[in-house]
Amino acid sequence: MADPSFPDALPGQHRLHWYVLERVLGQGGFGITYLARDTNLDQAVAIKEYLPVDVATRRADATVRSRTEDQNERYRWGLDRFIREARTLARFDHPNIVRVLSVFEYNNTAYMVMRFEEGENLAALLERRRTLPEEELLRVVLPILDGLELVHNAGFIHRDIKPDNIHIRADGSPVLLDFGSARHALGHARTVTILVAPGYAPFEQYYSSGENQGPWTDLYSLGATCYHAIAGIAPMDAISRSKGILGSTREILVPAATLGSGRYTQGLLKAVDHALQFAEKDRPQSIAEWRKELAAGAKAVARAAPAPVAGAPAAASPASLRGPIIWATLGALIAAAAVVLWLVPGDQSGKLAAALERSETERRKLQAEREREAGEKQRAAAEDKRLREEQKSKQLEAEQQRLAALENQRTEERLRRAAEVRQKEDNARREAADRARREEEARKQEAARKLAEAERLQQDKARPAEPVAPPPPRKPAEAAPAPDPFALAEDARARGNEAEALVLYRKAADQGHANAQFALGEIFAAGRGVPQNNFQAYIWFSLASLSGHAAAGPRRDQAAATLQPAEVQQADAVVRQRRQASTQRKG
Amino acid sequence: MRRKSGFATCRAGVCTLLAILASGCATNENIRAAILEVNQEFKTQYEEILAERGTRGFNVVPGEAFVGVRKSLMGLGMRLEAQDADLGYLNFAAAAPTPLNDAEWKAVAQADLGVMQRIAARHIGLPAYFIGFEPEGLEIVINATVLPLLGRTEVSLTMRMRQVKPPPSGLPRREYAPPTGVRMGLDKIWRQIASELGVRARRP
Repeated sequence: MADPSFPDALPGQHRLHWYVLERVLGQGGFGITYLARDTNLDQAVAIKEYLPVDVATRRADATVRSRTEDQNERYRWGLDRFIREARTLARFDHPNIVRVLSVFEYNNTAYMVMRFEEGENLAALLERRRTLPEEELLRVVLPILDGLELVHNAGFIHRDIKPDNIHIRADGSPVLLDFGSARHALGHARTVTILVAPGYAPFEQYYSSGENQGPWTDLYSLGATCYHAIAGIAPMDAISRSKGILGSTREILVPAATLGSGRYTQGLLKAVDHALQFAEKDRPQSIAEWRKELAAGAKAVARAAPAPVAGAPAAASPASLRGPIIWATLGALIAAAAVVLWLVPGDQSGKLAAALERSETERRKLQAEREREAGEKQRAAAEDKRLREEQKSKQLEAEQQRLAALENQRTEERLRRAAEVRQKEDNARREAADRARREEEARKQEAARKLAEAERLQQDKARPAEPVAPPPPRKPAEAAPAPDPFALAEDARARGNEAEALVLYRKAADQGHANAQFALGEIFAAGRGVPQNNFQAYIWFSLASLSGHAAAGPRRDQAAATLQPAEVQQADAVVRQRRQASTQRKG
Repeated sequence: MRRKSGFATCRAGVCTLLAILASGCATNENIRAAILEVNQEFKTQYEEILAERGTRGFNVVPGEAFVGVRKSLMGLGMRLEAQDADLGYLNFAAAAPTPLNDAEWKAVAQADLGVMQRIAARHIGLPAYFIGFEPEGLEIVINATVLPLLGRTEVSLTMRMRQVKPPPSGLPRREYAPPTGVRMGLDKIWRQIASELGVRARRP
């Protein structure tokens, strides 16, 4: 059964050679990624299918085709690139780059088979923990940089780096996924589909031309990923930033150096802010350049031994150890001074005083250090509080939206119920009118029968007595012809009883009465006593026209002008069916 | 159904004229031309989709199919506006994006927004890339016909958008829903009807 959230996806258990699809892992602008099983090796794999939704679509036979003939060239060009990219990516054998195992063509498209990585993606990790300490962050970013450098050196850029595309394996090592949007950085001037992750994509990615994109594009996205891990939220998207920068020459993104002050080393924060520079020329131009900046700021942690990122608690940072060390040092100094004062004879008192003086100076220095430390902690706590409040306000806003949606739902439910009640009342009124009409008809027939009987008796009395044959028994139907429903309808309408008129017009129309069909067309066109509906008006005008009503043709064309061609075809099918049924009844 | 929150998060639906107007970079004439071309493109795709997915046959009697179609559409959140069992005609409406849910509408936005922006960009330039999909103020209207055909019943669907408020003076109405929305909506409705009737739908 196909997943309803991914209508273009192949269904579960669909077989592609020896791969059996299990479920959809995700869909992007260029294709769909499935979890599948390699039945030869009996192992899970991820398979990416080339399906650029803006130019191609899935057919019922599972093949993928360009939406129009004009788009076929563009689709084939993209397909060719997809296959070539897969072949190139398959050359990269790096522990932090997703491993491409195979590529093949099938269903008029192509499939890239990749190793399936178990674990948790960075987006989920940040959702759970909000921020990452510096050491953990570097354990994610630095290995990714190594892998990405390999890719850049081969002339590729990833173009979609974001926490969703960084996977953290169970052993804590990161792997960069989804090269589906990777495009050759050099050598093509074709327009490619815009695919951006707001917040993580730099401004140049909002334009389709790839000319001004390069390693600095991926570095912006990596910087934004670090920013998220530091601030707990993604940076403002580049379009919003552009409004600030281009509109007033004022940067409106709060720098990481402000948000992370006191919690991260200045070197790291500066490197992140550098990568997030708005203009591409102001950013680091290569991985090597940015790695140097990161390393300068955080040498102590840059190449720390691997440790689980997701599972284990973070190691204590140097800042958090500093407090106890200060106090221990201070205590030791005071104790040493006291021992010296007690042991040394009186003539050494000058030296002792100097020692005490030094000790006091040292104490004051340490005290100042402790106060600075406390101040930094306070600032960090204030920043944390602000972020928490921001989060809370967002939750409140979401809750208000949920309540508004609930209220809308209730209103709709009330309206629906009211409409049902109205419908029931209308039905009851129609039934009552119908009953009254039948009774009235019966009364009229009875009166006509009695009148005819009385006339007959009078004629019998007036005629001279002669033997005559007894009159044949008379059928009641011959006593009075059934009243014309169209005339009754006109009468009801003249009396202002629209509901009764509608029922009677309908009855006459069903008998093929052209005027009644035309009248129904007018009723639906004007919405008189019924909801206005040009589709129904069109049907009745068409039937009236076919029954020979001269004015119905132009009115039908007027109604048709308000309908879509497809709706006209749909209504024509109803008219044909109606005429066919009517002919069969007559036959 | 979390429809309102879906609006806020998903932002799917139709070209927000206000966004373009606010940009101050496009004339009414350009906007009009952009909407007309988007309408035309969506119309072409809509008719192709209808040719492929607009009609299905069911091995049930017309009366049963009629009730099944009504129950299915109402089960998907559409409200019944008109019906005529003799003609085999039903008319439903609901605030967009119904009958799609938030996640489905998000997929629609992802698939069709780019196409719309590229078309609009030909007329209004860069501000086209600030256009979003906005379903507010729009209703989805569905016509269904249920007709007997060769011993079974043929059900046919059409889908259009209806603006609750008229567009600003001089600008055309948006009438055709995004193609991916039409495709997903029809597939969802056919699944629901087939499930309601307990039979498999067949293409004509």
